[in-house]
Amino acid sequence: MGTNAGYNSDMIPNVQVIEHPGEVRLRLRAATPGDLALVAGRALAELELGRAPGPAEGVSREIVVQGRDREAVLVHWLNELIYLAEVDRWVGVEFTVQEATETELRVRARGITVDEAPSRVKAATFHGLRIASVTDGVEADVVLDV
Amino acid sequence: MRYFYEIPVTAQPGMRVPARVYADDELWEQIGHDRSLAQLKNVATLPGVTGAVYGMPDMHEGYGFPVGGVAAMRLSDGVVSPGGVGYDINCGVRLLVSDLSAEAMRAKLADLVHELARSVPSGAGRSGRLVLTEPELDRVLAEGCRYLVERDFAQSEDIEVIEAHGSLAGADPAAVSARAKTRGHDQLGTLGSGNHFLEVQVVDELCEVTAAHALGLTVGQVTVLIHTGSRGLGHQVCTDYVRLMDEVMPGYGITLPDRELACAPIGSPEGQRYLGAMCAAANFAWSNRQVITHRVRGVFRRFFGAEGALRIAYDVAHNMAKLEQHGGERLCVHRKGATRAFGPSHPETPERYRSVGQPVFIPGSMGTASYVLVGTDEAMGLSFGSACHGAGRRMSRHAAKRTKPGHEVRRELEAQGIVVACPSSGELAEEAPFAYKDVERVVNVVHRAGLARKVARLRPLGVVKG
Repeated sequence: MGTNAGYNSDMIPNVQVIEHPGEVRLRLRAATPGDLALVAGRALAELELGRAPGPAEGVSREIVVQGRDREAVLVHWLNELIYLAEVDRWVGVEFTVQEATETELRVRARGITVDEAPSRVKAATFHGLRIASVTDGVEADVVLDV
Repeated sequence: MRYFYEIPVTAQPGMRVPARVYADDELWEQIGHDRSLAQLKNVATLPGVTGAVYGMPDMHEGYGFPVGGVAAMRLSDGVVSPGGVGYDINCGVRLLVSDLSAEAMRAKLADLVHELARSVPSGAGRSGRLVLTEPELDRVLAEGCRYLVERDFAQSEDIEVIEAHGSLAGADPAAVSARAKTRGHDQLGTLGSGNHFLEVQVVDELCEVTAAHALGLTVGQVTVLIHTGSRGLGHQVCTDYVRLMDEVMPGYGITLPDRELACAPIGSPEGQRYLGAMCAAANFAWSNRQVITHRVRGVFRRFFGAEGALRIAYDVAHNMAKLEQHGGERLCVHRKGATRAFGPSHPETPERYRSVGQPVFIPGSMGTASYVLVGTDEAMGLSFGSACHGAGRRMSRHAAKRTKPGHEVRRELEAQGIVVACPSSGELAEEAPFAYKDVERVVNVVHRAGLARKVARLRPLGVVKG
């Protein structure tokens, strides 16, 4: 995963880690708001596993989150994945966005089952949360509590 | 020499009170490197905030509130903010004191530290060996450490030296979601990850002998410091209520400079429900440190027999919102990465510490000293009876890892004679001593500003990292 030293992950493009004294601040880029969820999910998986995620195993599951705007939807999406990682020991790594609106995200996900809950990331926060249109799509900043 | 900086109420539109930061020139300069001052000014805009908002000398950027931030809200028109407490509700520190001398323990130190690491599960999400049924978990949430006395995880005398006796009366297990309970049901007795740790130490120096003796501390004696909180349960409570408050805030006409400050009026159904859930999570955190204490006592007993007995000096929270009396008014005091530091005359200071003040613990980082202090009566007027909670980060986790790899950090600590048990070299690097501010400087500001008085210095002998 990239750092603010100026490079991006080879495995997960469009993700940068921006310096934060105590937590992890991610800058995510995607072509569409729906794809932003995919990029965010992959970035979270890499943080939780401590490595680039391998191929998904097993059957897919549907994940639906709702929020009062697209920023809230992004935070709730990440928190849903964090919860599933800790409780089900399941890290989502492959995502197909079925529906993405301003207030709802519907994703079909496949993942990896791990022996120990990899909850290095404890929560996604609203702090400094930003989703903005950029030339080639959308860009988001989100701070994760670690 | 100055020990505080004042930011006037005119510094930012919307500020309702000034911000005061306790720092010397060097710490003030370091604090200016991140966004913590902007965060503190944002906190000063919250409805019902009163007096001033305070930044402790270890302050650094958090999410919403700065870490090392204190803010008090009037009950009549104030708000409660889950972000002002933090995700790790009642993250806190407990000091255990033995009668063993470090010299007598030295030969067994390495084995002891590794046995502690085996007995106290660490790492985020790693569950412990104590799995609670739903009714048992509800009792932990409702009663905290009082329930653990009944379960033989606590001794009755332990309760007297835990903040709020390890049991907040306003706890409402029904306000804790099923998700939070699922995350927490098998986590009691676990350290967690990040900056959480269990440290075997020696009392290195007494700064105030009378107070040190009141706390049962003498030079050369072995102590154990436990730093952890409410684990996944607390995180889920915060996640649930930040979400709820973000959704209901528009209905209360509240607008904020940062959504992570999401809040609701203290007297609102949402505010009351959050306080009930927060108190329950706080009881879970005290219970977590109690079960860890039980396990540490077991290890010490196996290694040293009756001589290895451990008593609790004190247990104090540093992520909490509490209803307290200040200046004749009942206020909701948010402390995010800040420790309550009540003086000798405060009724909540334990009876046995009424001559000196409530104990305050300021852990350093691995390889540097930790400090024991006692609260002062004057701190009530200086900081709503608060002091700092640690050295405070000065370097991001990534910058720390770039600066020095974990195996080198481990080698340097071992060269100092410190035994390290940490499952991940990467996380060891993130928590390396150089990633933190100078704890001695931070403590000296606390002492000289009158927030708390230095009592003793503790030097690390062995570290179990979460």
